Amino acid sequence: MSFVEVSGFAKSYGGNTVFEDINFVLARGEFVTLLGPSGCGKSTLLRCLAGLVSLDAGQFRVEGEDITYAVPQKRGIGMVFQSYALFPNMTVSQNIAFGLKMQKLAAKVVASKVAEAIELVELGGKERAYPAALSGGQRQRVALARSLVVEPRILLLDEPLSALDARIRRSLRQQILDIQRRLDLTTIFVTHDQEEALTLSDRIFVMDRGRIVQQGSAETVYTRPANEAVARFMGNYNLLGPQESRLLLGLDIDGHLAIRPEVIRLFAADDVTPGLIPATVMHSQLLGNVVRYQVEAKGVALQIDCLNRRAADLLSDGNRVMLHIAPEDLQEIAP
Amino acid sequence: MATAKLAVIAPAAAERRPAFGRWPGVLALLPFFAVLLAFCLVPAAWVLISSKPADGGMWYANFAEILSSPFYRQAFGNSLDVSLWSSLAGLVIAVVGVASLRRVPGRLRSAAVAFTNMSSNLSGVPLAFAFIILLGTNGTLTLILRHWGWIDDAHLYSLNGLILIYAYFQIPLGVLVLYPAFDALDDDWQHAASQLGAGPFSYWWHVGLPVLAPALAGTFILLFANAMGAYASAFALTAGNVNLVTIRIASLVAGDIFLQPDLAAALAVLLMALLALVTAVNHWLLNRSYRGD
Repeated sequence: MSFVEVSGFAKSYGGNTVFEDINFVLARGEFVTLLGPSGCGKSTLLRCLAGLVSLDAGQFRVEGEDITYAVPQKRGIGMVFQSYALFPNMTVSQNIAFGLKMQKLAAKVVASKVAEAIELVELGGKERAYPAALSGGQRQRVALARSLVVEPRILLLDEPLSALDARIRRSLRQQILDIQRRLDLTTIFVTHDQEEALTLSDRIFVMDRGRIVQQGSAETVYTRPANEAVARFMGNYNLLGPQESRLLLGLDIDGHLAIRPEVIRLFAADDVTPGLIPATVMHSQLLGNVVRYQVEAKGVALQIDCLNRRAADLLSDGNRVMLHIAPEDLQEIAP
Repeated sequence: MATAKLAVIAPAAAERRPAFGRWPGVLALLPFFAVLLAFCLVPAAWVLISSKPADGGMWYANFAEILSSPFYRQAFGNSLDVSLWSSLAGLVIAVVGVASLRRVPGRLRSAAVAFTNMSSNLSGVPLAFAFIILLGTNGTLTLILRHWGWIDDAHLYSLNGLILIYAYFQIPLGVLVLYPAFDALDDDWQHAASQLGAGPFSYWWHVGLPVLAPALAGTFILLFANAMGAYASAFALTAGNVNLVTIRIASLVAGDIFLQPDLAAALAVLLMALLALVTAVNHWLLNRSYRGD
């Protein structure tokens, strides 16, 4: 039996479908990410799971128990909000203790659990601070501790890192993953950031226009996008239509060919190895350890990502090069 | 290198400084200070000076007379009574009203806010007259209720009647003042509280009301001061028969029998002192509460 079963979830507002036909199962301790662009329905889906928004249709079971219509208080689900939602009139300790006090636990037990939670999220010394005196990263860790201390069956995280700067985000991401692994906590994480999804998740559910359009491991979703929407969202894929495929590769296809920018290899313009395609660099963009080239080959625009090894290897606009695309790196996808 | 960096940063910081310093702001405030001086500080000082007995007695003689007189002590007691209860009623009903208004559709909310705006400004003689024709001795509602046997007589011309009529303008004033304060409440706080096991009551008790406490205290002070200083509604309703501080001041200033403006000034000083005390207690309480911002 699956730990979490979601079947036939649907929600609409005033005739506008937010999401429909949402089905998935989760194993205990699994870390799953709902990934998709803004407005695809992922946050509303999370709020429906939390019981904060009512469902139009569907069934939600946790450990075999049907909690579709249970009030949020009775679901055993913890949630971390994008806005942190810390109570501004309470200190760090009081915020973390709130859920335990609602359970009417003895003061000694509350104090001990709060101390453990503060240690878990490494916020020692901040017990008496009010949220207004904390940084964004510290607030998010308080929110995480507050959700974890009540020992939920499932943890929901609604874009918890989106308001933080890149460095804090990376460090907090790792901290969330470490805690999740240590507690073996079933976790559903919502984000529109593909890097976050790829680094954190056991499985990724890609959402587009209110539907889960692909679910699988990070590697599968990234390298084998199920359709054009996933390819566009996941990794700056080069998507070639039937005419472009014919022009560039001489292939007749009905749908699209997806080619990841990092699988296209560049060779010197005078290389005569068979199968190479002549191209011209139109534009280059330095992204740190990666250089992104826009090239034109046989009238088709392509994007190529190369490792930035040496300054001497960088190509300039107008340089002529040869391209190689291995047949196994071509992926035909449905439109 | 560090020097070079500083050299670059310093002019930029200088550019951000306003060209004329703070003077434009101070000049723009001059009319405000002039009004404050002319209509608040000078009259207050004049009232204080005027509170000295006209017959040349000691400066505190009028205050001593007021504080030792059961009649004037009763006036303060009645004013406090009416102000306290009408302010509390206004505050409690306004909190419930605003919390409800935040949950209704926009058009209904706008209409309700427009109505409260109008009713908060309806006071004085028109308001008293409206209440008299509805709830006076021979008011429409009084006659209906008496006909049904629900009441024996109307009690509009009493302290309770005054509390009722004051509440009429205190409630909408409370709604108008509190309405923007509710913007401070984040919906996700309630969601987070419910995830942590709190029902609506626990949320309001532990989070909503404490967060709103500064606004609630400020609104209460405003309503209280409003009620303490109200005169026209009370006079029109009771023809001066209810003993309130404002009615006593008016009768001493414009009375046909007892013309004693120095005593009226002393009453006004005590009224100001009372409001200052309430405001100071409010500030003290707020300073003891959390500093969330």
